[in-house]
Amino acid sequence: MAERKGAYGTSTSDTSFRRTWDREEYAAKAEERERKSREEGKARHEAALAGKKFHRRASTPEDSRDTEARQARLNVADQVGKTSLVPAGAGQGKRGKGAGFYCDACDLTYKDNLQFVEHLNSKQHLINTGESGEVRRATLEEVKDRFEWLKRKREDEKAREVVDLSARIEVAREQEEREREERRRKRNEKRRKTKDGLGVQDARVEDDGVIR
Amino acid sequence: MAHQADARRALDERGYTGTLIHGDNPLKLFEKAVRDRIIDSYYWKEQCFGLNAATLLDRAVDLTFLGGTYGVAQKPTPFLCLAFKMLQLTPEREIVEFYLSQAGEEFKYLRALAAFYVRLAWEKDEEVYTTLEPLLNDSRKLKRRTREGWQLTYVDQFVDDLLGKSRVCATTLPKLNPRVFLEDEERLEPRVSGLGEELDELEDEDEEEKGEINGNGHVSSSEEGEDSEEVAEGG
Repeated sequence: MAERKGAYGTSTSDTSFRRTWDREEYAAKAEERERKSREEGKARHEAALAGKKFHRRASTPEDSRDTEARQARLNVADQVGKTSLVPAGAGQGKRGKGAGFYCDACDLTYKDNLQFVEHLNSKQHLINTGESGEVRRATLEEVKDRFEWLKRKREDEKAREVVDLSARIEVAREQEEREREERRRKRNEKRRKTKDGLGVQDARVEDDGVIR
Repeated sequence: MAHQADARRALDERGYTGTLIHGDNPLKLFEKAVRDRIIDSYYWKEQCFGLNAATLLDRAVDLTFLGGTYGVAQKPTPFLCLAFKMLQLTPEREIVEFYLSQAGEEFKYLRALAAFYVRLAWEKDEEVYTTLEPLLNDSRKLKRRTREGWQLTYVDQFVDDLLGKSRVCATTLPKLNPRVFLEDEERLEPRVSGLGEELDELEDEDEEEKGEINGNGHVSSSEEGEDSEEVAEGG
């Protein structure tokens, strides 16, 4: 029997307008759902036998990544000697940005580094930064690679170390020059920022802070 | 496979699931007081968070001294914190052996750390002996922080302490059968000293010396020094 074709060459029948379903996909989904519910029922039963209450574990977000060790020491001294503007109501509590160690992800401010590092390790912070709180186990290969890298790094550092006194003086002088240049640049920047171009005149009192 | 970033869950009173050492939670090898101090310490919170067996190397390389607790407040040393971390991680045997051999050759404090871990965590006495005894040939210097002050020690001396003493670095070590006992049971071959023939010569000298003492009644000071060294080595 010749197949009936429509005007656009597509085969038609009286029910071809209906939506079609991928039966296999849905069968797999149903099986997965049943398996999960069976497992949960089993866990519930076992918990009941042990006289405990069953709690369903919250699923881990798919985009969460492993927690990793800190790359460097926590820099707690970078704000020393700096001035920052703080909103008027920031004096109370940890909420919001205030004076102290501020955590961007959680919008909290801590007054000391011990509290701050405790917060960085806390579940709350890990969830906010999308970390799972679990660390991947290292294999022997990774350990070996890490060791090779550390060894190379230490050798590099050793090579840069100078024993000669005159060379050391030279290195120190260059370092000092660089620092002075940086200070000069900052001062000029500050001067440019003020309206009249005169710069900030720092009020200096004779014997500032010395009690006589 | 993954482990927790900190020891909170491992020390939870409600129960522990994980690797067992000597039939118990490995973290319990440290005493409660020391454990609490470690977990309270800034080094633990800042530097030991989220370490695994590979990144542990970063910290171990930076160690400059070993020891237990120090000061009036009995602060734990970084060495002790890292040992605690190792107990939490319980790295595979090959990794520990790598720490001891290849990496230990380069970084002496890492070797001391791994040796401490082996003594604490390995369950078979003969394995502890066979793994640690080769380290008695390593005579590099180590700095040791005591309760108040500092002390100079050597890798071989530290390992000897681990094999002989019952308390090292603020930790009571698990019971280890004496070597002689294991040799009697034929679980262990008699140890061949790294000194080799020198040992025999030293013994001969000893006997001669004894003869001299009997004859003259005194020993020269330099010979006395050698003598005491030999005693430390022989253990």
